[in-house]
Amino acid sequence: MVTEVSQTFPDTSTRAARRRSKDGNRLWTGATALISLLLLAPIFSVFVAASGDGQGNWGHLVDTVLPRYVANTLILMLGVGGVTLIFGISSAWAVTRYDFPGRRFFEWALLLPAAIPAYLIAYTYTDFLEYAGPVQGLLRDIFGWQSARDYWFPEIRSMGGAMLVIGAVLYPYVYMMTRTAFLLTPGSLFEAGLLARRNLLFGIALPLARPAIIAGLALVMMETISDFGTVEYFAVRTLTLGIFNVWLGMNDLTAAAQIACFAFLFILALLAIELHARSRRRYSDTSKKAVPLKRLRARGVSLAGCLIACIAPIAVGFLLPVGVLLSFILRGYSLDVTPQVVDAGVNSLIVSGGTALLVIGVAGFLVFVSTYRGGPMLKRLAALSAVGYAFPGTILAIGVVTAAGALDSGAVAVLRDWLGFDFRGWFSSGVGLVLFACLVRFQAVGYGAISAGIQRLPPNLMNASRVLGHGFGASLRKVVLPLMRGSILAGGLLVFVDVMKELPMTLLLRPFNFETLATYVYQYAKDELLEQAAMPALMIVIAGIGPVMLMNAALRRLTRGS
Amino acid sequence: MTALSFRLLAAAVVSVGSLASGPALADGELNIYSHRQPFLIEPFIKKYEEETGTRVNIVFAEKGLVQRLQAEGEQSPADVILTVDIARLSEYADADLLAPTESEILEADIPEHLRDPQNRWFAFAKRTRVIAVAKDMPEAERPKRYEDLADPVWKGRICTRPGSHVYNRALTASMIAAHGVDGATEWAQGLVDNLARKPQGNDRAQAKAIYEGQCDVAIMNNYYYGKMLTSEDPAQHDWAAAIDIIFPNQGEGDRGAHINVSGGGIAIHSKNKDEARRFLEFLTEPEAQRLYADVNFEYPVNPAVGPSDELKSWGEFREDTLPIARIAELAPDAQKVIDTVGW
Repeated sequence: MVTEVSQTFPDTSTRAARRRSKDGNRLWTGATALISLLLLAPIFSVFVAASGDGQGNWGHLVDTVLPRYVANTLILMLGVGGVTLIFGISSAWAVTRYDFPGRRFFEWALLLPAAIPAYLIAYTYTDFLEYAGPVQGLLRDIFGWQSARDYWFPEIRSMGGAMLVIGAVLYPYVYMMTRTAFLLTPGSLFEAGLLARRNLLFGIALPLARPAIIAGLALVMMETISDFGTVEYFAVRTLTLGIFNVWLGMNDLTAAAQIACFAFLFILALLAIELHARSRRRYSDTSKKAVPLKRLRARGVSLAGCLIACIAPIAVGFLLPVGVLLSFILRGYSLDVTPQVVDAGVNSLIVSGGTALLVIGVAGFLVFVSTYRGGPMLKRLAALSAVGYAFPGTILAIGVVTAAGALDSGAVAVLRDWLGFDFRGWFSSGVGLVLFACLVRFQAVGYGAISAGIQRLPPNLMNASRVLGHGFGASLRKVVLPLMRGSILAGGLLVFVDVMKELPMTLLLRPFNFETLATYVYQYAKDELLEQAAMPALMIVIAGIGPVMLMNAALRRLTRGS
Repeated sequence: MTALSFRLLAAAVVSVGSLASGPALADGELNIYSHRQPFLIEPFIKKYEEETGTRVNIVFAEKGLVQRLQAEGEQSPADVILTVDIARLSEYADADLLAPTESEILEADIPEHLRDPQNRWFAFAKRTRVIAVAKDMPEAERPKRYEDLADPVWKGRICTRPGSHVYNRALTASMIAAHGVDGATEWAQGLVDNLARKPQGNDRAQAKAIYEGQCDVAIMNNYYYGKMLTSEDPAQHDWAAAIDIIFPNQGEGDRGAHINVSGGGIAIHSKNKDEARRFLEFLTEPEAQRLYADVNFEYPVNPAVGPSDELKSWGEFREDTLPIARIAELAPDAQKVIDTVGW
């Protein structure tokens, strides 16, 4: 049975247990608050930068470019949101509701575009669709056109192009979350819907999957608003492009940070509205096991629909960009895998793996403690610490380096000046800084996956275990963690794939002589010489495929019931 | 906690921390923060390492290195800063992140308008912003000055990268220096009105657009011409073959072609300033100066070293001798002009 229960679940613990846990509680909540604050320190730094004395550029900005930045950002968010919802929901519905040839393959292949960095897909699409590319070349051959003036062809470097390519690599967030939610919706509800002659997708599945869809969409929105590589390449003037023009063009970091904070608060407001809208509902299934709806065999129109819903996103988001990279390699560019590239690959794996573990540890800790031990304040703090995602990477990196610098200066003051150690700081030019920055940024991804998982658990699970005499730690270990394994694994793998693609923060914060695949590729791509780095670019994608397959296995286990 | 155990704990913390730190600051090492990609400075580094036995470490990033250096403060491991344009260079200077450097070699090798009056930064190579035209354009029709690009005769025929790119911003700054903010705004508006397409891509992409027939005129840095000529990608040879490059504003009494510089300076908290100075001096020596032309088709700053034969074959030109620092000072105004006209 599914019941709607109020947000705070009834506390059934006894008075004695409550007293016993009081001291322990302080420790747990204190640690949670401390970690959250540490994660928020870089964001705080950005706000400090924003509070400085500007150079009076706001008047100029409002008069000239700011309205366009805001409008373009909103349009881009709407467009990317539309693309990700259409791709994500239709494919999720196809693979959960219907049975058709290749379904099990599509289930995981639909996650593949998550392995493609947005800036890479932008470059490859331009190569494919521009005047000199194969598509227009073929059209000219067929129709005998001589030059660009003889015909019209849609410009990929445009708002529409940006919506398509960003949406094509971000929809897997929506797909993953939605598919999981669909699978976890009990078949009994669909059966009731069938009897009441409701549309199963719009009447039952979507309303119940709403929190999951919104969670996926939130990640998409945050990544869209903070994207720099694609919008710069496509010359779409969004707030993020504006941030960099103000910062680097006018040497006004203060105004740039103000715009970044403005965009950030905007995202925060969106999230708050959604949280508020669903605060009175809580969807959880108290029955033992969700028996999903039996799949329908797809025939005729529904088969065609399923195939289109599955093939289109994969073709747009994966096959085409990989095909372009492969064609560079087949044409003889970027053939040799030099020791530098191998080193870069190893570094990428270290940073991605390290960050994934860190995020799982930190996000898991924050979610568990704030869910089971914390009041509403702690919950909000923990959720807030997962919003680094909404800042453009470079701006967040500046926040990170500033916060770390302040921390280091303090440590140096104590350790060197007071205690006399030869101490030069932990953070200056170490890999640690890159890991910390990635933790701050991708915390959102891990936090989202793990908190979505815990919301699916029966709310009284922990209380029941406590009543049976287990302590908090033991209950967590014996009862909650085993049920959460799938969510945690999926979250960690998603972080891994994301960090594999990460560019701006690694670029700015890395130590000397330290390349990841993304930074290595970038030094060529920035001069539009991607073909010379096609091999390492392809390696980024390949490194993401394994985790994507594992992620699918984790999701499958997760939804098979516990 | 006793004092001893506290010290032990602290020692453990420090040693764990140092595991995470980068290379040690031993003598015989030089740490560079670079705005230029590693593959473009590698030839210089190799040469320097061979000559001196010094090990050179590099971090490359385009944006935010100023803030990183600032945040690192005294602990910063950086010795040398290298940038690819004057605006970044003076941003470091303005933030007091560069150490003044007395060097007779640098003063002798670099003309006065290409170094900081307070010796905090130095230019090592220069490039000029040229006008590229379709090869088949008759001589008489070709634009001769940057100012010509605002002439309505070019309506729908010009391609450029976005105005807010640092190269176009610097060009706009030079227009402000020549004509004032209003004059530069009028010029930029005229130019934008003449654009054949929304500004996009990099300079190389503009030559490609001429090749493809999307436009007849483009603005680009001279070195892209050389890079296309020598590209591994044969298609780019065709792009280069489709254009001629024109050095603007060369007429009698005119100010000369706008230039920008690659340059560098010594980080204020460098623990290795002598080595850093040696490296900067090395970059102005004839051999390294010639490398700038070989690697990146840039012009040497050292008057004793002529441009490479390849560069000479593109034609001689006279440069705008406006003190290069002025370009950086005017950059914020230039960005406003660019915002105003929506370039």
